[in-house]
Amino acid sequence: MGRTYVDSVLVRAAEEARRRGARLTEAEHLLLALASEAEGDAPGLLSPAGLDRLAVQDALQREFEHSLGAAGVSVADEEVLRPRESPRMPSDIGESGRRVLEVAMAGARKKDLGPAHIVLGILDLKVGTVPRVLALAGVDVEALRARARAVVDGT
Amino acid sequence: MEDAERDPGEELAAVVAMRRLADRMEDAAVERAMRAGWSWSDVAQALGVTRQAVHKKHVRRLIDAGVQLRRRK
Repeated sequence: MGRTYVDSVLVRAAEEARRRGARLTEAEHLLLALASEAEGDAPGLLSPAGLDRLAVQDALQREFEHSLGAAGVSVADEEVLRPRESPRMPSDIGESGRRVLEVAMAGARKKDLGPAHIVLGILDLKVGTVPRVLALAGVDVEALRARARAVVDGT
Repeated sequence: MEDAERDPGEELAAVVAMRRLADRMEDAAVERAMRAGWSWSDVAQALGVTRQAVHKKHVRRLIDAGVQLRRRK
């Protein structure tokens, strides 16, 4: 039996987390993994929302600096604002990542689960980094949800 | 500000951001100290953590970055 899509996206999301120095694989790392896919359903879903890899990275950085600003913190040394990759892979999947997978899996059998299910899981999040990033990036969440649902219903 | 006016989401996001900033500052500062010839014990004392903790957290990254580490005396 070949590896399922969800296995592959989790491995790539863990690598995204490592590259950003995160200790856990979170929802934003799943989003980065999806935004980096060149084939399949992901580009057609995410491109109209303006969510390519660079746009997600840029919005993550803006969310970070915005949240520091909200705490009254300003940083003179640009160097420390940049993500640093970790030599270690994340030790586990974080709560936001777990929620995304739960919602995605509720909508599909494991072998049928694809990018659109993950997108629906990501859009289901109410709190945390991802909803803030989508708002900062000006994403039309309802239009994206409708495209993802159309793909899911079509399979 | 009244508690009811505060957005917990904003406050928690600020905590996440400051934690991340502190981690990145620690990485950069420990690397600078080790490049300047500090010992693990010096860095641990300055950070207020055990020598084992600071070693475990940073040794692999510093070796990967090609930093010459001082032998323990």
